[in-house]
Amino acid sequence: MRTIARNEIGRLLDGLLAGYAVYAPVRRKGILVFDRIRSGDEAILDYANTRTSPKHVLMPQMETLLSSCGEDPGVSEHTDCGKPAVLFGARPCDARAFLFLDKVLRDGQSRDVYYANRRDSLLVISIGCTQPRETCFCTTTGGGPLSAEGSDILLEDLGSVYLAHVASSRGAEFAAAHGLLDTCEGEPPGSGTVNGGLQPAIEPPVDLGLLKAALDRSFDDPLWLTLAEKCLGCGICSYLCPACHCFDIVDEEAAGVRVRNRVWDSCQFSCFTAQASGFNPRPTGRERYRQRIMHKFNYCIDNHGMAGCVGCGRCVSECPVNLDMRQVLAAFGGRRGGN
Amino acid sequence: MTDCTARIREETARLLAEGRVDLVIGFEEGSLPLRATPCFITEPGDTGRLIWNAFCSNNLARYLIRSDRKVGIVAKGCDTRAIVELIKEKQVRREDVVIIGVPCHGMVDPHEVRERFGDIRIQTVEDTGGKLVAGDGTALLSMNREDALHRSCRVCVQRNPVISDVLVGEEVEERTRDEFTDVADFASRSAGERWEYIAGEMSRCIRCNACRNACPLCYCSKCFVDETRPQWVGRGTDPSDVLSFHLMRVLHLAGRCVECGACVRACPMGVDLGTLNRRMSADVARMFGCRPGLDPGKPAPLSTFDPDDPQDFMLEP
Amino acid sequence: MRNPYAPVRMRVERNAVETEDASIRTLSLSFVERREVFAFVPGQFAELSLLGVGEAPFGIASSPADPDLLDFTISRAGQVTTELHYLEPGDTVGLRGPLGNGYPLEELHGRNVLVIGGGFGFSTLRAFTSFALHPANRGDFLDLEVVYGARNPGLLLYKDELKNWGRRDDMSLSVTVDNADQDWSGRIGTVPAAVKTLQVDPESTTALVCGPPAMIRYTLPVLAELGLRPDRIHLSLEMKMKCGIGKCGRCNIGGSYVCTDGPVFSLARLDRLPREY
Ligand SMILES: Cc1cc2nc3c(=O)[nH]c(=O)nc-3n(C[C@H](O)[C@H](O)[C@H](O)COP(=O)(O)OP(=O)(O)OC[C@H]3O[C@@H](n4cnc5c(N)ncnc54)[C@H](O)[C@@H]3O)c2cc1C
Ligand code: SF4
Ligand code: SF4
Ligand code: SF4
Ligand code: FES
Repeated sequence: MRTIARNEIGRLLDGLLAGYAVYAPVRRKGILVFDRIRSGDEAILDYANTRTSPKHVLMPQMETLLSSCGEDPGVSEHTDCGKPAVLFGARPCDARAFLFLDKVLRDGQSRDVYYANRRDSLLVISIGCTQPRETCFCTTTGGGPLSAEGSDILLEDLGSVYLAHVASSRGAEFAAAHGLLDTCEGEPPGSGTVNGGLQPAIEPPVDLGLLKAALDRSFDDPLWLTLAEKCLGCGICSYLCPACHCFDIVDEEAAGVRVRNRVWDSCQFSCFTAQASGFNPRPTGRERYRQRIMHKFNYCIDNHGMAGCVGCGRCVSECPVNLDMRQVLAAFGGRRGGN
Repeated sequence: MTDCTARIREETARLLAEGRVDLVIGFEEGSLPLRATPCFITEPGDTGRLIWNAFCSNNLARYLIRSDRKVGIVAKGCDTRAIVELIKEKQVRREDVVIIGVPCHGMVDPHEVRERFGDIRIQTVEDTGGKLVAGDGTALLSMNREDALHRSCRVCVQRNPVISDVLVGEEVEERTRDEFTDVADFASRSAGERWEYIAGEMSRCIRCNACRNACPLCYCSKCFVDETRPQWVGRGTDPSDVLSFHLMRVLHLAGRCVECGACVRACPMGVDLGTLNRRMSADVARMFGCRPGLDPGKPAPLSTFDPDDPQDFMLEP
Repeated sequence: MRNPYAPVRMRVERNAVETEDASIRTLSLSFVERREVFAFVPGQFAELSLLGVGEAPFGIASSPADPDLLDFTISRAGQVTTELHYLEPGDTVGLRGPLGNGYPLEELHGRNVLVIGGGFGFSTLRAFTSFALHPANRGDFLDLEVVYGARNPGLLLYKDELKNWGRRDDMSLSVTVDNADQDWSGRIGTVPAAVKTLQVDPESTTALVCGPPAMIRYTLPVLAELGLRPDRIHLSLEMKMKCGIGKCGRCNIGGSYVCTDGPVFSLARLDRLPREY
């Protein structure tokens, strides 16, 4: 079994830079984010998780879908995503979020080619967590600090070395092609060959099945009113979330160039559902916050067999009014069997 | 339990019991260390949830907007400055709010504390007045309280409530005059350098609107950024749209911004909104001799005309 | 792989004012490049777009029996609709579609159909009615009864067609207006009031309903009084939409997406969804 030394990572990434656009955790003005690196030693390896999620690698906050120019009737479609990319250092929760985005954007009734093209040329090398944050709750929605779902290769962090687990056929091809990584011979992550099976324990705040059942009955629950009372209706929780995928499509024209852009949007904004007549089916924060929770923990489970939340905890740590989603879930899921 | 906490609970219970208010907005223990969170108390029995500590930093005046209830509100100096402006702008009626004023020693910025103590998993924080003592379950570490304050609290000129119905806690000594020294360096730089700095900060903005939504004075029922007929500002992260948003917002707050720093605290990306706002406040102070929220009797400088108003910002004829 | 966000080009053949106040116009569009047959059912919609201005969803107002010329009846609401109103014959416009499910034709086979519409919501019902009246299809349905209303006579759409339908003996038509002028000799009153006067056999009748929220709200109880079962009432809903293909996440009612699962829902199905529309 081969391990990769921590200090080999820089060289490994340098090797990839020739053929791939490489995204890794970096600090930008003091804030950790995933961004493209130009050299392997830029990648930060000591981090709990980034402030923003790596979702933008597959779905940039703003991207041009279509454009045309001057009198030319031709329309450019901008579906080419350029170089294949490697996302290095994603946490298991964020990698798992890609599985969810795949279901909505790539594998639904119609295929979002912009997302799909990027996704199909992205290789995800994630790093398992040894030190979850106090806001982490990945185990609630089916993940875990060593979950390999959504990753092509999962690195298990053993301190000075990493153990590589190949988690997909693309990961295997990549490993073989680059002669970089050996597999752990089918041993699941955290199985203990090396670190004694230690896997950080994260107590789930709720049982997802019970929560789902409770939410099925809770649309009209007066609790929504009190739970959402302090919410500011900002876009932080949506925009930092690795699984939120809602977007707006907006056109612009300047100097004879016409573009149609896709930009992230949030169900917490009042204009999200306002209709031409002035009618808004979700007129207040109560309906909008309910939508956020119901969408993630009820509708998504029905439609995609998976919650639209991976428990990364960004919405918990960054909410300006400390509206802790785990408490909201517990308020419903904790009330077993009752209304 | 601090004295203020006990007094806030007592006053809240009394206001609710006497039927003077339908609801009291205050703070309760947050779900995370170094956090307190807004709470809405309607039952006298629930007053035990209320607390007062170094992390009660949200500006609760924001929740008074478009409220149709009689509200009791726990308010620091800056929060009362916001209430004063909201009353002047006829968004809040004085008789509909009961202000439980709390003199403030400055609120503590969790980021500063974490920065100082690095990676330890802080579980408890004790505020001794002069020091903050953080514990991770095994060891205790301490830092000067002053060094951990939010930026807005370091330059605050009004720590005592401007107006209140009940005052809870001892009045604190106000700082010396604010000379806007924190933005002096910025102001002295060339236009090009200032532009570069602001553009650099704005490049991190994700357009989440948290700054706007946390602001007690950003109460427009339809903000210009949400206007689509016609569209004023594009929705995305195009640098010109981001800048337009922030510049128009700061101008719309000229003479109204009460310098509470709510926007800065809400921002998840650490965008330095403070410099723009404070520069604008410095201009308003210099040109109109006005610090919003400090004087309930004084009309807002930019919504009144005075022949003696400074004209020097206009272009040469 | 087809790009679901890329429109096909359509040529404007006609742009006609529908209402006296000119707030509603009907565009007739033909395909610039024919790629494949544009197969749709009445009740489906499409996104019309002008690159650089925007894109918006509109019900297809013409019958699938004439798939080469598509009609859209457009009420002026904002940016996109205003620009669409300015188009002239020969101009081009983008189209994505057909989108959504449409009216449940199979289920209507061999039944009486009661069509109830108001406002521009009548557009897809006009598509259905024209489709049903086509000689090739008329035999698939029993009685065809159309109730259509507008606030005043000037706001009635498709006036020529209404005249023509009024003369036919293979359907019945009641047109009603909330407020009449001197020239109006027809029925005065609301749509629900007109529906109330109908004789229908609830067992063999299915209703298709599309119109403004108030019309729907007051019509549903009348249909219940007439004895129609909730699974035999189909409503076409409007929600704010962007992508039209179930991705952008804004048009859901509970777990159902109006753009892909709708816009046509049976009342029975709606009753199982949260009331958020
Ligand atoms: C399935 C469906 C079928 C429709 N069929 C027709 C039709 O046959 N004829 C017709 O005239 N209209 C129809 N509409 C409504 C039409 O799509 C909106 O009036 C149009 O999108 C407004 O676009 P705008 O750019 O002119 O307005 P904007 O300038 O974008 O905005 C004006 C107002 O309209 C709201 N709005 C924007 N986009 C939508 C939207 N997609 N849906 C609802 N409100 C929106 C905005 O929030 C704003 O309040 C339909 C809508 C749906 C969802
Ligand atoms: S829950 Fe918090 S982050 Fe989310 S919209 Fe409300 S205030 Fe903003
Ligand atoms: S939520 Fe789980 S997977 Fe994500 S960072 Fe925390 S421990 Fe790691
Ligand atoms: S809070 Fe920060 S990131 Fe959000 S819109 Fe304001 S400046 Fe931008
Ligand atoms: S319109 Fe985008 S999901 Fe329905």
